[in-house]
Amino acid sequence: MDTLTPTQSEATQAGLPLAVMLGWRIVVALGLVVATIAVAFAVGIEVEGTLRWVFTAALGGAGLLALLAIPWTRALVHRGRAVGFFLDYLIAIGGAFAMAQGADLFVGLDTAAARFNESALFLIIIVLGWFVGGLAERSSNPALARRISRATMAAGLAVLLISMGLLPGLVEFARRLTGAGVFIPLIVALVATYSARLLWSDRAARAFSTDQKQAEVMDGFFFVSPNLIGFLVFLAGPLLVSLFISFTDWDGLTEASFVGLENYGRLFGDDAFLRSLRNILVFGLVAVPASVVPGLFLAALLNSKLPGMKVFRAIYFLPSIAGVVGVTLIWKNLLNATVGFVNYGILRATELFNSITGAELEAAQPLWISGSSVALFSVMIVFAWQQLGFNTVLFLAGMQGIDGSLYEAADIDGASAWNRFRSITVPLLKPTTVFVVTNATILALQLFNEPFILQAPAPPNGPDNSTLSPVIYLYQNAFQRFRQGYASAVAWALFALIFVITLIYFSRQDEDGVLSA
Amino acid sequence: MPDTPTQQQDRRRRLLRNIVGKGGAYLVLIGFAAIMLFPFVYMAAGAVKTPSDTFRYPPKVLPRVPLVAEVDGQEQEVFSLDFGRGEEPAVLVETGVDAGLFVDPDDPERTVPWPLALASETGSSVTVDGESLPTYEVELVTGTETLALQRNTAVGRFQQLDGDAVTYAVPRTATPAETIEAQWGNFEEVIGLRDLDRALTNTMLVTILVVAGTLFTSIMGGYAFARVRFPGRDTMFLAYLGSIMIPFIVLIIPLFQLMVGLGWVNSIGSLVWPFLFNAYGTFLMRQFFIAIPKDLEEAAFIDGAKRGRILWTIFVPLSWPAIATLATFMFLYAWNSFIWPLVSINVANADNFVLTLALQQLGGVAGESPNLLFAGIVLSVLVPFTVFAFAQRYFVENVATSGIK
Repeated sequence: MDTLTPTQSEATQAGLPLAVMLGWRIVVALGLVVATIAVAFAVGIEVEGTLRWVFTAALGGAGLLALLAIPWTRALVHRGRAVGFFLDYLIAIGGAFAMAQGADLFVGLDTAAARFNESALFLIIIVLGWFVGGLAERSSNPALARRISRATMAAGLAVLLISMGLLPGLVEFARRLTGAGVFIPLIVALVATYSARLLWSDRAARAFSTDQKQAEVMDGFFFVSPNLIGFLVFLAGPLLVSLFISFTDWDGLTEASFVGLENYGRLFGDDAFLRSLRNILVFGLVAVPASVVPGLFLAALLNSKLPGMKVFRAIYFLPSIAGVVGVTLIWKNLLNATVGFVNYGILRATELFNSITGAELEAAQPLWISGSSVALFSVMIVFAWQQLGFNTVLFLAGMQGIDGSLYEAADIDGASAWNRFRSITVPLLKPTTVFVVTNATILALQLFNEPFILQAPAPPNGPDNSTLSPVIYLYQNAFQRFRQGYASAVAWALFALIFVITLIYFSRQDEDGVLSA
Repeated sequence: MPDTPTQQQDRRRRLLRNIVGKGGAYLVLIGFAAIMLFPFVYMAAGAVKTPSDTFRYPPKVLPRVPLVAEVDGQEQEVFSLDFGRGEEPAVLVETGVDAGLFVDPDDPERTVPWPLALASETGSSVTVDGESLPTYEVELVTGTETLALQRNTAVGRFQQLDGDAVTYAVPRTATPAETIEAQWGNFEEVIGLRDLDRALTNTMLVTILVVAGTLFTSIMGGYAFARVRFPGRDTMFLAYLGSIMIPFIVLIIPLFQLMVGLGWVNSIGSLVWPFLFNAYGTFLMRQFFIAIPKDLEEAAFIDGAKRGRILWTIFVPLSWPAIATLATFMFLYAWNSFIWPLVSINVANADNFVLTLALQQLGGVAGESPNLLFAGIVLSVLVPFTVFAFAQRYFVENVATSGIK
């Protein structure tokens, strides 16, 4: 790459207001330094507890970068462009966030939802446009059909937004803009956005002599940024905070006090927690095989290429589409001890059995929900019923990946269907099986919804704690007894259990080198 | 070459085995299909039942209501009674007819209440259960029988609904005739009862925003992980992969506190904003993008196209299957999530309920009217089932790809 002479450099910069950019860099650096001092010494900005130091460190780091960016920008080196863009991007997002928060835009979704209740029907226009687009390929004039589709969808969206109160919303937003807490962040965000756009432009790339590789790095971070922000703010950050909370005694409202490993130590002496562990292990040992083993056989049958298999597949999949809440409520009625179909079915089956064999068995009529010996079993029924179809489809996908010629070879050798299943399907399906079992186990260990809904309005821990699961125990501790430190310890204990079990499963899979193959 | 007898025998045996095998396979498949479908049929039928019909024993699947007929300008309950040719619909025309409770001497379990006017004393008596009772010739609809009079009682006179035949029975214990009839008003009632329409549209709004947002962030991130080289990319990707196995429950307390701190708790926004990013979605898009041949974009690069343009004009149009798969995944995730709304939305704030929360609350109060609860469940599964009907392929694809990870 040839280097630019000073004159050439000046020429390429011609389009860039370098002085203004430098000025903005200085403003940013000063602003960040002032903000760092304000937070660190609690002047004007009060942040409580540990967060204060986190903020100070973050702002200080950014301030340092901003200071460095000034000479880099002056020297027109790529680092100046990259750091400047990075800072402007963050400031733009931060400003926009502060503006939206100040104008109550995030919470304003409630108002939009209230309006949406009356205008949701306009969604039909958008869906209609979508279908037209889908038919475009088959029509005689695809380009026209596509244009109609796009226009319909746009019109639908416009009508929807207007009927949701877009215009009064904008007026209201403009009114709120007059508040300093909204107006200043907005201006900062707009300036930062403008500066970021300028730095992002091809002109800037040439002026700062960014090479292809450096441009790629900027692209990479830019593309991953929406995702990365979500990852940091809503996953990685909370994860660390959760770990921290688990070492404290905290009611979620007042100041937390650090207690070290005390919460974890208490877990081992907590009968309710140990009971929840025992429940969940018993639950997993029954519910997981009950949802996996029939799935394997059903998948083998579905894989047989007989007519109608797609219909069966769809039927088996239905429970995993209907939400767990609805499904559990249906089962709650089916399991009703006095008028439910399950007990009625048991009664009729026993009568039938008695009339055929002449035996005089008495039909069991368990109290499925309120009987402490069967309450957990009811939960198993619901879980296995809902999970079975999902597992079947997983197995089926695995089976369809098995080389068909193996079966043909076995056919020539005259192997029976059972033998083919046992000596070809099952061994080759091991990776899928491991995944299915792991997945079902992880779900089972996080049991919450089914007992919570089956037992309602009684507490979800069930009669004699018989349906108490770790997640229910966590929920009760965190949000009913306000022991959030202890609840976090429960969460991490459960996480550790899930982690270990997953590791064991996958290491078993890897013994055969499947993972590395 | 003609088959030898043993070969023929062998073929026949195989054919037989084949038929038995296939029949057995269908039998098992149909059996499981019945188990999977029955709760939904029960739900759909339950949604159009009357409240009392949901508590009947023995339970019946189809919704039934007492049959009513108009007789002489008046609505009358219809009963199902025997006029000598099996059960037929009948209406009560007269009550308080003097009658006796007759018992069959040969079968003391069988008792017949019948008007004394239609019985004539024989003069003899018979011992039933150690009691000496007078016998009568009783003209029943099925013919005349000799029965013993146990005690006096009163019966009602019933007339055939479409005829003149008459029979007698105790009105209180007579079997009411029923007809299968759906109570469509249940849907309207449950919507009014708990603002379920609000919960439905709230859920739609949350789902639309979560799906759209996740698609956007996943497409961007997936492309960066698949095609753009930048320092720390692979470490970051590993962190993403690892984070897929973090149970949501570990994050729930800090997330709740974050929502409290931002003042978003109890708002619909709290169900949307934290869920616009999904590590699994990013992973899914990355896997799909990485398989797209490189020469497709190289030509565009040479023409000076930017990466953003290449992503939206080349990669996205090629990736509809993956996008649809991710969309269905996020759709189910957002539509059916329960524990987070339960934590974030205050139970007193029904305006911000999503369907799962509304149904759970309804389940708590609908003890006396499960029919309304069923109607609510039907409303909640209607949209997912419709989407499934049109996009079944992608739902199944989603499961299949999750298995490959």
